[in-house]
Amino acid sequence: MTLTLVILVVGAVLLMNGRTVGVLVAYVVLAMTLSAFDLTAALASPATFALFALATVLKVVLAPLGILLFVRVNPAAADLRPSLPMAARLLLVIAFALLAEAATQLPALASVVAHADLAAFVILCGVGMLMIFRNLLAQMIGLLVLGIGIGFAGSMLAPGLPESIELGATFDALVATFIGLALVRAMVVHDPLLDVETLRRLRG
Amino acid sequence: MMAWVVAAPLLSAILTVAFRNLEARRRARVIFAGIAALMPLSLVGNVDGLSFTFAVVVSALSFLATVFSTRTFSSDWGGEGAIWSRKWVYFVLLGAFWSAMLLVVLTNNFATLWLGISATTLATAFLVGFSGEASALEAAWKYLMLCSVGIGFALLGIVALAHVAIAAGIDPRFATSWTAIAAHAPSDPPGLARLATVLMLVGFATKAGLVPMHTWLPDAHSKAPAPISALLSGVLVSCALYAIMRTLEVGSALGVSSLLHALLLWLGAASIIVAGGLMLAQRDLKRLLAYSTVEHAGIVALALGFGGPLGALAALLHVVGHAFAKSAAFFAAGMIQRDCETTTLGRLRGLWQLGSPGRLLLAALIALAGMPPFGLFVSELLVVFAGIAAHQWLPLGIGLVGIALAFTAISRNAIEIESGMPGANEARLATRRSFVAIGAMAAALVAALSIGVVPWTALGGSLQKTAATIDSSR
Repeated sequence: MTLTLVILVVGAVLLMNGRTVGVLVAYVVLAMTLSAFDLTAALASPATFALFALATVLKVVLAPLGILLFVRVNPAAADLRPSLPMAARLLLVIAFALLAEAATQLPALASVVAHADLAAFVILCGVGMLMIFRNLLAQMIGLLVLGIGIGFAGSMLAPGLPESIELGATFDALVATFIGLALVRAMVVHDPLLDVETLRRLRG
Repeated sequence: MMAWVVAAPLLSAILTVAFRNLEARRRARVIFAGIAALMPLSLVGNVDGLSFTFAVVVSALSFLATVFSTRTFSSDWGGEGAIWSRKWVYFVLLGAFWSAMLLVVLTNNFATLWLGISATTLATAFLVGFSGEASALEAAWKYLMLCSVGIGFALLGIVALAHVAIAAGIDPRFATSWTAIAAHAPSDPPGLARLATVLMLVGFATKAGLVPMHTWLPDAHSKAPAPISALLSGVLVSCALYAIMRTLEVGSALGVSSLLHALLLWLGAASIIVAGGLMLAQRDLKRLLAYSTVEHAGIVALALGFGGPLGALAALLHVVGHAFAKSAAFFAAGMIQRDCETTTLGRLRGLWQLGSPGRLLLAALIALAGMPPFGLFVSELLVVFAGIAAHQWLPLGIGLVGIALAFTAISRNAIEIESGMPGANEARLATRRSFVAIGAMAAALVAALSIGVVPWTALGGSLQKTAATIDSSR
């Protein structure tokens, strides 16, 4: 119940908060909560724990830190510029929660795993961030949220899989974040607000 | 041995950086790349026919792209100030891209395949934005985001598939191996198996640029430097289609192939008709070629959707033929872009009169239009036969209309740019030609031509056997 409440609140902050720092804090809470969920399985062997620790440091510390440092250098990019009003975003959070609950009723998913609804909600929040914010940094955080949602689903669906898969997925999200930051750094010259609409116009 | 084959392109690219003398570095680059390209041949008998075929295509075209880049590398490609816009970074990323693609086609499990596909995105994002121009950065961003989301969903499908495999009693260590799943597939697959394979298919289809997940492809493929466009269109899309073939293989074993066939049919038909229509509106040569990639990926998806050994054979031949023809076309477009300083279709004239690059471009366009004697004509004919055999009249009809639109677009533009009198910019093509680069183009075209006769040679039998492993459900 507590886990459900934490993830719901975090999901709401991710979609409703319009500032980078607030959203990053929500992301870190989400990543730490879902990582803690995996801790028991990670204690199975020293190697598994080492990979788990590495993956956790990558997603909980390094990725948010990179984005935070970028925002400090480019404060104009801190506004995530949501393209929907607050009320519509609140409705979206509710719709995502209902959709996630409905997903567990699908014949394919019924009684397959516990917390499938939470994983589905996190994944939907990630997709939502990619769609409703006009700032490129929000898209990057959305990608990270999507990544940890998929990782969470993976750890429940196939707990016996090698830890290297989760590490690979985390590493992928992290590298995508830093490649994204490098691209964003080059793009901030053209538009300090990092507005996706401005970026589209650059296409010519 | 396989690890060395995969690592060789990246290692050789890194080793080359150690050469101080520029001419020695160029030679070393070509020699090392040549050795790396030959290494997959040592895997005969150690990997299955499908992996071997794709490994050969990946290595051959990556080698040609390396040679082409070495000889025609233009300082215009790199932007000022961007750290990745340096020549040595370009070649190291090219090596990483090549290695990642080999990892995709040589592994025997979906987890490693996914890592390879993911690595290709990371290696090429900077290559797409290599010029540092605003439009290239936008294309790189879109490519990174859409492909990362797409393959994220493929990963979700892979872990769901692993859940199905573990539940069927397969050791978790082999839960993502397609050979293990095919050997121990549950007789009554759960609904999760359907969901898993659909997620994988949609994820890999994003990387293959199938409609409606295609929006990143025309921008990324047209903004990258020409040799990278050649690899993105010719080889990376082929690797994504390879992943779809493996998904279909597992889907057939799990008894969920009818759903995958239906999905592939409609994704394929939609890709062909949408791309064919949009090709008519293109005013840039590289964008025309990029949309043509969406069309050809659609043809492969349609062939796989028709199913059975004939559909699979058509798909396999088409992937290989398209890889070579499209690479040749992008190489030619690169030379034209370098020398004529434009790829705008209305501004290019009289290329036929300027010798090899213009004539080779025409040959590549003829191949891409699906005209004989090129291999794509044979494979498209086989796709039609597969459609008739499967009685899938509506998708076949839509596909044929799309192919006709694409044919019209390519023919109209080919006539426009090849005929007439060349201007001053075009004339530079005749004076600045590089024989090595022209050789790379010609080699790709000869391969595209040869694919057409493969079904009637000794190689045709083994190709048919390989195709039968992809889909034996019909």
